[in-house]
Amino acid sequence: MLKIENLSATVGEGEAAKTIINGLSLSVPAGEVHAIMGPNGAGKSTLSYVLTGREGYEVTGGSATLDGQDILALDPEDRASAGLFLSFQYPIEIPGVPVMTFVRTAMNSQRKARGEPEISAPDYLKKSRDVARLLNLDADMLKRPVNVGFSGGEKKRLEIYQMMMLEPRFMVLDETDSGLDIDALRTVAEGVNALRAPERGMLVITHYQRLLDYIKPDKVHVLAKGRIIKTGGPELALRLEKEGYDGVLAEAV
Amino acid sequence: MSAALKDMIRNPTVAELELVARYAALKADPRRERLFEAFALTGLPHRRNEEWRWSDFKAAVGALDASATPPADDPLASEGVATLKFTPQGYVAPAFLPPGLRLLPKDEVQAMGGAEDAPLGALAAALSGAKNAPATLMAEVTGETPVRLHMVFSGPGAINAARIMFLVRPGAELQVSESHLGGAAFSAALVECTLQPDARLSRVVYQRGGKGEAQAITALIHQEAGAETKQTVLAFGARVARIETRLVHQETGSHATLNAAYLAGDGYHVDFTSHVRHGARACVTRQVTKGAVVNGGRGVFQGKFHVPRNAGQQTDASMQHNALLLEEGAEVFAKPELEILADDVQCAHGNTSGQLDAAQLFYLRQRGIPLVQARALLTEAFIAQALEEAGIHEEALRAQASAWLAI
Repeated sequence: MLKIENLSATVGEGEAAKTIINGLSLSVPAGEVHAIMGPNGAGKSTLSYVLTGREGYEVTGGSATLDGQDILALDPEDRASAGLFLSFQYPIEIPGVPVMTFVRTAMNSQRKARGEPEISAPDYLKKSRDVARLLNLDADMLKRPVNVGFSGGEKKRLEIYQMMMLEPRFMVLDETDSGLDIDALRTVAEGVNALRAPERGMLVITHYQRLLDYIKPDKVHVLAKGRIIKTGGPELALRLEKEGYDGVLAEAV
Repeated sequence: MSAALKDMIRNPTVAELELVARYAALKADPRRERLFEAFALTGLPHRRNEEWRWSDFKAAVGALDASATPPADDPLASEGVATLKFTPQGYVAPAFLPPGLRLLPKDEVQAMGGAEDAPLGALAAALSGAKNAPATLMAEVTGETPVRLHMVFSGPGAINAARIMFLVRPGAELQVSESHLGGAAFSAALVECTLQPDARLSRVVYQRGGKGEAQAITALIHQEAGAETKQTVLAFGARVARIETRLVHQETGSHATLNAAYLAGDGYHVDFTSHVRHGARACVTRQVTKGAVVNGGRGVFQGKFHVPRNAGQQTDASMQHNALLLEEGAEVFAKPELEILADDVQCAHGNTSGQLDAAQLFYLRQRGIPLVQARALLTEAFIAQALEEAGIHEEALRAQASAWLAI
């Protein structure tokens, strides 16, 4: 499904450009959930931005494909229509644009790009109600401008709401657990798990093992200095939690 | 034309000579003469006039031939609402006037306060009342129910000069919408409104002119005790367009909201100028102006609050102007000015110009919204605040803005 091969990328321009991703290879087959863990500055968030095409990040080598399609050549919106979704570590506030308008516009833009018919207003509302109920989201929140005045936990839940509404094929969750208390974490994980399916893949970027108690990964990768230095099963996350990153980092050298 | 008339304006342009000829053909009237003289002091304003330095009418107005552009469509037109039309041929009164509205055509030109401060307003007053039309059209608003009136200013023709003077009686309410649709090479409109105690005015203005046209829309509003004005303007500009509002809080407790949004495309120029005088204690002004400009477009904002030493105590006034430069080559000129001589006041102002937020754009695009649409959505959200007080017209104005942004 998602295949990253020998990917390198820099942040910044000209003389100030800095290599953050440095020969990273990773493969997530359909139906699997992989976790990426790593210390601060390892390149975790950069990887999510490079995959989704944020400005200011330049790919200097390697490739990334989704079901064989080169995603790095696409504009961000086309990557989204191809099924790539990023749950932002810091969701952005959009004053003046209500959640409903935003998500419906996004949904219909993606459908249009894929040559599918638009969703009708009643169908959208029904789906929205169902998803909001599952995530404990207040209906009033969906009428408010996107993320404006939302608490950290509400913003994260709104990311998952969007994910469940848009039903992407591949999801990147960037530190979705940060800023969440245990109850919110459980709700968010429930939403994420509801999307697990044989045809979907997921990359869960996290600092702590805690999230992985709720979203069980098939594989755990350790990212350091811009590349994967170790891959293992869920037990690797437990070991990192116990021993910290130092042990694994030392082993890799 | 007499030598005296010709000499009224120094080094006149072709257009100015035509304006003088137009004036000379009208019925002589001492007040008309004074108004035209007020205009002639500056002539067509140009960049060396401090208040006009970014909006050079003298350079922009060429020969006053009929405009090549037909008038724009009117998004504020609504069936069942009395509509007053101003064209180069004069005005057309609605078949039925709403209860509470009386039109009072005057055979003599009425005086205009502060004519020297608003040369194009003075010009509109001096040139209105062609042929069989009344020299000045007055309108009186009375009664307990709000009076709704729609006014259209449009061509075709060369010069469209129009003036209307409203007198809103104590406690009465006027809800006026205006569509300034161009279609004339040069349009000058003057709307005057005196609000007697506790009277209310809601004014919604839609302006859209042709690329070769010049438009000047001047409003003079005088507010007595407890009066309230809510004004919303949406403007797309013309070759040069100036929307000027001069408001005086004459008595205590008067309240004004002056909001405006402008969208300037390639080859369009929009100028918002306002002058608010807090001539009485404890009056309130709220002003929000939002603009978005593309390459080749030009936006101008000049806002002034004048708060005199004694009269203006306990003034509460805020002014905000925010502009978006959507492309390289877009131009915005802004001059917010607070002239505060009183010491017990609350006055604030903010002025920004910048670009769309890259993080917001990326967020929208990551969700699948194409760049052009993402920009339009964010720009519409940006200007939306300025249209919030337009009441029943908010939706129509937003639809116009959104259609413009979608191109």
